[in-house]
Amino acid sequence: MIETFNSLMMGFSVAFQPQVLMYAFFGCIIGTLVGMMPGLGPLAGISLLLPATFGLNPIIAIVLLAGVYYGAMYGGSTTSILMRIPGEAASVMTCVDGYAMTQQGRAGPALAIAAIGSFVAGTLGVIGLMLMAPTLASFALRFGPPEYTALLLMGLFVLAYMSGGSMLKTLAMAVLGLLLGMIGIDVMSGYTRFSFDIVELGDGVGIVPVAVGLFGISEILLTAGQADPPKVQQPTLRQLVPTKADLKLSVGPIMRGSVLGFLIGIIPGSAHIISSFVSYGIERRLSKHPERFGNGAIEGVAGPESANNAAATGAFVPMLALGIPTGPVTAVMLAAIMVHGILPGPMLIQQQPDLFWGFVASMYVGNVVLLVLNLPMVGLFVNLLRIPYAYLYPCILAFCILGCYSVSNSTMDVWIMLVMGGVGYILRKFGFDLAPVALGLVLGPMLELSLRQSLAMSGGDYMIFLQRPIAVTMLVLGLVLLGLALKPLIFKSKDWRSSVGLDENID
Amino acid sequence: MTGANEGNVEMKGGLRSDQISGVVLIAIALVVIWFNREFPVGTLADPGPGYVPLLLACTLGGIGLLVAVMGARSQSMAETEWPEATRALIIMVACVAATFALERIGYRLTTAAFLVFFLGVIERKHPLAVVLVSAGFSVASFYVIGTLLKVPLPVGPWAF
Repeated sequence: MIETFNSLMMGFSVAFQPQVLMYAFFGCIIGTLVGMMPGLGPLAGISLLLPATFGLNPIIAIVLLAGVYYGAMYGGSTTSILMRIPGEAASVMTCVDGYAMTQQGRAGPALAIAAIGSFVAGTLGVIGLMLMAPTLASFALRFGPPEYTALLLMGLFVLAYMSGGSMLKTLAMAVLGLLLGMIGIDVMSGYTRFSFDIVELGDGVGIVPVAVGLFGISEILLTAGQADPPKVQQPTLRQLVPTKADLKLSVGPIMRGSVLGFLIGIIPGSAHIISSFVSYGIERRLSKHPERFGNGAIEGVAGPESANNAAATGAFVPMLALGIPTGPVTAVMLAAIMVHGILPGPMLIQQQPDLFWGFVASMYVGNVVLLVLNLPMVGLFVNLLRIPYAYLYPCILAFCILGCYSVSNSTMDVWIMLVMGGVGYILRKFGFDLAPVALGLVLGPMLELSLRQSLAMSGGDYMIFLQRPIAVTMLVLGLVLLGLALKPLIFKSKDWRSSVGLDENID
Repeated sequence: MTGANEGNVEMKGGLRSDQISGVVLIAIALVVIWFNREFPVGTLADPGPGYVPLLLACTLGGIGLLVAVMGARSQSMAETEWPEATRALIIMVACVAATFALERIGYRLTTAAFLVFFLGVIERKHPLAVVLVSAGFSVASFYVIGTLLKVPLPVGPWAF
């Protein structure tokens, strides 16, 4: 415990350096703006900013990108509450009661509770990250290739179980992503696979063009031509103060949302989206007056907003402790670290304590920055929403092209982005969740390497996965969840999605 | 939140969206298997570069088959609406043209032309606004990303 405290103090000495503070602040502001703009979620924001971090030191780079991430989580709630436009998918549930409160003239308390909930959840999430990541990392030092294979397979099975839409479609997208990860040079044999004599594909398909195409371009293709946004309400500073009753009603949902969000955040998949849906479902079920939900219940804002922010922090646990991303956002952030020659994995915390503890401390700072700065400035930020969409989307498209080109100064990445944008548009029209594609792309090479190494170790005997306790535990857990996911398909029964109102596919 | 909702109460005839999705997934799996024949699959004890892609393609084909078989209650293709398809196609064509032009005429000219096309031709905004936004965005973004953040951006033969 004392060691953790000392490490955290060392982290604060890094986080309070003026340059790091400035970039944390800058990241939070950019994130908030990005989160507020429909069509530019946290992923697109981080991907577009990635090339600009190449010249920075790795601590500053990750602090900046993390600021964008949780800033976007916060920004998404503002548009949801004031305009019923979820800036990003995790804010969909906030729209329901947040906008109803706005229509009742209570936009101020809704915004304030969203901010307070985000702050509490973010802070509790960082405490969880600080306590769990080093323990998990030291445990993971016992992992060999069979354990990594089992871990990655378990992640994919959990993804299928926790997916927002159809389990089969989620698995199909994950496999498609894994196949995309097979493009390029095979590290074990030196063969160049599926590159069709295109030299640039020898290095494989990058996560940035795939992510920007699937999420950014496809969103614009779906929404282009829509009407201009409606008129925006701008609450005054005095109107932001919640009543005692509001605070009393929100304490429970904020605490439950924080714990739930953090735990779901550790799991692969669209964690921050799912956590907000699950939190809303739980709060509605626990409420003595469930009929208030949908008509301006403040618990319907407090729970989901806390959950999606805690999930954003929870996602950093496997990323920093194991070097395994749980979603496209953490995959891009891992790419940002790797650009600087830092190898993610269980040794990261020991080898780069400045990076880990500086990052943890900067998250405390970022949460305070978001709370103190954003509430008084909400009126200023919503002015951005006055920009007509007709002006906004061509500029976003230009940014997407610019961002993808800058990653490796190659138009090949822009072509990949355009192809993935078109594919993403069609997949969304057919009700497919796109996050597993991006996740599969990153996990593919890791899974292939660990599987082939495991088979080489055992002389081709798959029983190696059943002979090692950690591997077999993870596989059994994954298979149980896969079985539970298959149950509704076989027996036509209802699964957990319908109980939390997650019947529709999440794009 | 677009897409095929399973379990529609009123079902129209014809092909279902999930049936088509399933068939396309099977087709992708077959294409991967076809191209994968160039790479040695190896043995279980020493898996080759073709081993995992083959395994994944077979899994994808199997899932595609399940999606197609279980897709009988998904949305009918006739019910799937594509109101934004024409606009989406125009956007894609403009992006393809911009990508072709990027390294040939430089970032600033490409971006300015790209924005003039969207704002002036597609959205029919006031000419002054079109010129100001197009020129302002291309010059300002080049300055911030290229000059301040030192990200190398393409410059065309006319130094733009």
